[in-house]
Amino acid sequence: MINKYVLFRSARSTIIHIFLMSVAVTCLFPIFWMVRCAFMTNQTIFVDQSLIPHHLDFNNFVKAWTQGSFGIYFLNSVIYTACVVTGIVIIASLAAFSFSRLNFPGKNIIFYLFVAAMMIPLPGSFVALFVLMTKLHLVNTRLGYILCMINVGLSMSILILKTFFDKMPHELEDAARIDGCTKLGIWWNMALPFARPAIAVIVIFNSLNVWNEYILATLLLEDSKLMPLQRGLIIFQGAHSTDYPVLMAGLTMAAVPIIVIYLFMQKYIVKGLSGEVVG
Amino acid sequence: MRRLASVCCCLVLACLAGCSQPPQPSNKLILWHWMTDRQDTLQKLAQEYKEKTGIEVAVQLFAPSESYSQKVIAAAQANVLPDIYGILDKKSIVADFIKAGLVTDLTPDMEAGGGVWKNSLYAKALADKSFDPGNSYGIKPGIYGVPIDVTNEQMLYNKKLLAKAGIKNPPQTFDDFLKDAHLLRRVGITPFVAGWGELWLLDCFASNYAFNIMGEQKVFDTFRGKVKYTDPDWLKVFGVFAQLYKNGVLMNGIVTKGNKYAEQDFALERAAFAFNGSWCVNVYKEMNPKLDYGVIPPPPISNAYPLKIWGSAGSTFVVNAQSPNKDKAIAFLKWLTSEKQQEVLARETNNLPSNRQATVAVSPILRDFSKGMEESTHPNIWPLNEDPTVSEAFDRGLQAILIGDKTPEQVAQEVQKVKDQQMAKHNRRR
Repeated sequence: MINKYVLFRSARSTIIHIFLMSVAVTCLFPIFWMVRCAFMTNQTIFVDQSLIPHHLDFNNFVKAWTQGSFGIYFLNSVIYTACVVTGIVIIASLAAFSFSRLNFPGKNIIFYLFVAAMMIPLPGSFVALFVLMTKLHLVNTRLGYILCMINVGLSMSILILKTFFDKMPHELEDAARIDGCTKLGIWWNMALPFARPAIAVIVIFNSLNVWNEYILATLLLEDSKLMPLQRGLIIFQGAHSTDYPVLMAGLTMAAVPIIVIYLFMQKYIVKGLSGEVVG
Repeated sequence: MRRLASVCCCLVLACLAGCSQPPQPSNKLILWHWMTDRQDTLQKLAQEYKEKTGIEVAVQLFAPSESYSQKVIAAAQANVLPDIYGILDKKSIVADFIKAGLVTDLTPDMEAGGGVWKNSLYAKALADKSFDPGNSYGIKPGIYGVPIDVTNEQMLYNKKLLAKAGIKNPPQTFDDFLKDAHLLRRVGITPFVAGWGELWLLDCFASNYAFNIMGEQKVFDTFRGKVKYTDPDWLKVFGVFAQLYKNGVLMNGIVTKGNKYAEQDFALERAAFAFNGSWCVNVYKEMNPKLDYGVIPPPPISNAYPLKIWGSAGSTFVVNAQSPNKDKAIAFLKWLTSEKQQEVLARETNNLPSNRQATVAVSPILRDFSKGMEESTHPNIWPLNEDPTVSEAFDRGLQAILIGDKTPEQVAQEVQKVKDQQMAKHNRRR
């Protein structure tokens, strides 16, 4: 006789697995389709409906790298991503620590102003940013673009980190102070290690944001040698026609670094998103 | 101490902000554009120009066009527009740029030497950025833009599929077209596809037949509210679409199809006829280089008036009126639109040249497209346009006819009702 409980458990597990597998397929299929199309030609991409193309064309990757000048754009994107993410982590963690642990006049108002800044969509601030950067002579410079992108990512990062720092036990801070730690020492030795999951979330979100950003770069940069990776991809999209296979090859190459960052940090991401405290 | 540091920082920033110098004349021109497919050719031509004149033209690409437009608007506000650029917005925005002193009036240069430069270009293309005397925008009449290429919308036919259905020549009349569609259906070929999910393309086709059935004056009188959409001539226009539906001419899903998908269908020989713009030559070449096709104007339904296709400037550049290099910028554009350079642009980018003489050098299919250019029309050059709310009701009505949901009479009444409401609103405002 079949145990009803075992039957119920295996039925429930099967349903959950089928559901999770279908969600996984939905997420992974577009990536698979992108990679698949990267190996096709313009003539076969609309005709060949098979999952694995009959003829694999590797030239698209070479074409994307050379015609799209991916070498210089790739390097630029790495520089922008590294600088912006580092800048955001340092500034946001200092700001969040101050909002959470220090008392100063106008603390709440300034914090709410930061949070309110999240409500302003990026295109809404384009003209203001451009005029400001022009006045500061920072248009068409790497520094100007990096500063603007740090500004874009700050609000959300401060909000996430403040939530973490609020949960940090006061006793730990007191103990550190007794041991002779300064405020900066507490931030460096306690707050930052404590907020590692939140920092992981900030790193991945902002990396993704900077890596895929193009509109602000178009606005602020003029020299093509300063442009990020997305500029290389635009080359393959004409006003009326698109070179899909080469575009897909470019997208595949552009997606690799961000997938690698995600894989490295994935164990912290769930903790960071759920606001789970270490320990 | 901290306060002192803050004050110092602010002072440094203020100094940096105030240290701008007015631009000086130089031998370097900056050109901003949005056309990815023309970047290489423009750069090549700029290099040739530098070798000839010593003037360097930095061709800077900002795509897609939405990002480009934002950049131009932001640069206009910061007063840092380049020497040569394009305005992709509607005519009222172009007028705002002119009023702000950001666009040079090119009329004296165009008219110089008996109008050599002006006459070498298609008049319809120049009209795109021109303002007539007494224009509603209050702009000084003149030519404010230089078109580097032109486009028009016509009908394409697949020679192989027509031959398969036993059709020797493309249709000359709308009745011939319906007969051909019947023959094509008999051998299992979808007769016609278009990206009529994009309302402007549907509007374009309807406008072609409206001009053919009642002439442009009556069309404009309808916009003015003097002729009703329930007029028998308008019923004939709506009837064109009803006939397309009843005779099974259309590909399934045509009213929701974007033009990109319609282009795929025609390029992959899923339909024998298509309605598309001259840019399609590039698109079809990429998707199916072996596609054997021809171009004709939409077959007329009446002999009363000529069928006028839509044609206008494809891409137009303007010269920054604040630029210290204005004259050099105009000289470069004059050179760029001269016959030889236009031939290079047309040959390498597969776009219709704006210079009439350069059409000799283009491919046969583009030459066929260019034939319709002289007699073309475009909403940009009409003395007035229909109210957008009425236009939308009109286009939605056409879509309803195309899926068999409504009759021409029903749609005519509905559109007229919207027109009456808009007229009443307009009169109240006055």
